[in-house]
Amino acid sequence: MKLDLLKKYVRVAALSFEITVKSTLVDGFILFGILFQPLIIAMLALWMLQDRGGEYAIFVVVGSGMTGLWSTLLFACGNSITLERWIGTLEMIIGVPTPLQVIVFGRNLANVLQSLLSMVGSYALISIFFGYHLTIAQPLLFLVSLIFTVISFVCFGLLLAPLFVLNPDVQRWQNGLEFPIYILGGFLFPIALLPGWTTPLSYLLAPYWAARALHVASSGGDINEVFLSWGVMLAFSAIYILVSGRMFRLVIHRARVDATLGMQ
Amino acid sequence: MPAIEVKNLRRLFKTNIGVIRRSIKEVVAVDDVSFEVQPGELFGLLGPNGAGKTTSVKMLATLMIPSGGSARVLGFDVVDQADKIRPRIGFIFGGERGLYWRLSAIDNLRYFAALYQMDPEVTKKRIPYLLELVGLADRGKEKVEGYSRGMKQRLHIARTLLHDPEVLFLDEPSIGLDPVAAREMRQTVLDLQAQKKTILLTTHYMFEADALCQRIGVINHGRIIALDTPAGLKKHVQDLSVIEIEVFGVPTATIDRIKALPGIDAVSIENRDQKQAMLVQSPRGSAAVPDLMSALREVRVGAVVVREPTLEDAYVRLVGGISEA
Repeated sequence: MKLDLLKKYVRVAALSFEITVKSTLVDGFILFGILFQPLIIAMLALWMLQDRGGEYAIFVVVGSGMTGLWSTLLFACGNSITLERWIGTLEMIIGVPTPLQVIVFGRNLANVLQSLLSMVGSYALISIFFGYHLTIAQPLLFLVSLIFTVISFVCFGLLLAPLFVLNPDVQRWQNGLEFPIYILGGFLFPIALLPGWTTPLSYLLAPYWAARALHVASSGGDINEVFLSWGVMLAFSAIYILVSGRMFRLVIHRARVDATLGMQ
Repeated sequence: MPAIEVKNLRRLFKTNIGVIRRSIKEVVAVDDVSFEVQPGELFGLLGPNGAGKTTSVKMLATLMIPSGGSARVLGFDVVDQADKIRPRIGFIFGGERGLYWRLSAIDNLRYFAALYQMDPEVTKKRIPYLLELVGLADRGKEKVEGYSRGMKQRLHIARTLLHDPEVLFLDEPSIGLDPVAAREMRQTVLDLQAQKKTILLTTHYMFEADALCQRIGVINHGRIIALDTPAGLKKHVQDLSVIEIEVFGVPTATIDRIKALPGIDAVSIENRDQKQAMLVQSPRGSAAVPDLMSALREVRVGAVVVREPTLEDAYVRLVGGISEA
């Protein structure tokens, strides 16, 4: 790709990021998913798991934060193309020279970064209101894990957005996909507590590897597990980007054939 | 080389009907349409709602793939070479949608400028210029959700001119605008034409097509039924006079009786506040008035005027049937 074109794409992604932040800051549904729902989950989890001792609190912070990340990915990133169609801007942004994938990338980045606020909110709630002393075992590994988490979630969002457009039947299951991933991703309790047959399903999910890296880096454990999780997240991200490129082309072609870019 | 070249263009839509025993119904929206638009020309597509105007424009703007035939814009095929066309065209679809309402006008324009991959330095100068041009300079920082319909439409015009496109597709740009805003919009279109832009304008307002377009294609049921200059189209009715009768509530049976009178070519009704205007086209001119009065004896009648036909009368004759506006 030529450097000049790359600069233009970066500029598009940056402006997509900016307008997404400006739009979602006044969107009650998104704010509920980012802030309030994870806080409610954090409180419930803390009450349920308080007999495990204070060191479990950081696990709850990370886990409830992950629920905010996943909900944002599912609803905000997953609906990023559908939303443009609802508000009538999809035709306008398909008719420009910039690929839709670049535009959605910027939107996903904004959504995922904003959703990290859920982790900050849970941290503040548990440390200030519940008085737990929270420490992160491996701060540097935690920070890098967070960066890999953002990358893998943004790329996962690039897969979900065209998938939901191509297959509305999948989108109808959107609400039903929220809690199963909380559980399969091992956000709030280890997947070892689940039946053995569900473990392969967890391994196929980037959110599981993100949660695993963040939990180990924050609560302590074998750091090789963190490195393994980073590798798997990167591999998944590469696969998501490759597959989503084809899906975006398919979405646009099918929408031009079926005349479904606009909504009357 | 024509700026727009359309050959035997066709577009089908498939719709599902039925709940239990579902079947697919095919509707022909655009049927064997052919025309050319020369560089710098202001070409109009005139037709009633559902005639196929918007579908034609969407195919030319690369947003929809034709079911048959071919179309080229600036020499490029709209299906296979859409990437070459998109940076060089602009389009507006009538109505308020298509903007980010939670953002300001300036943010909307900044975003679309980036999507059109414009140079940031050019964007900085272009946005204030365009806001000034469309009369939104002092409202540019306000959120679009607080704009009136006319302001949103003007912002659409600014958006479509951002990257200085060579070809403009304006699909019913004045729909829903108040008379002053519509007049300003028409002036903007004329200004753009003075800048040698190629413009394809769709409208169902006859006076708008008459005032703006150099050539007009009349489209109905997906087919071009006439293509000529406004003056050429008026020749379709030069043998006719139009008798305009002010009436108050005409029963359908009376209209049918008038249509059956000898020498009556077309009848249409226009609703005008508390009254209606019955427009009767006839080669008999004022000689037909006594027969019409006789047919309308049970109806309250106001002023009667016999006048020369306009483009609207040509349109009514071409499209046929009774239309109510």
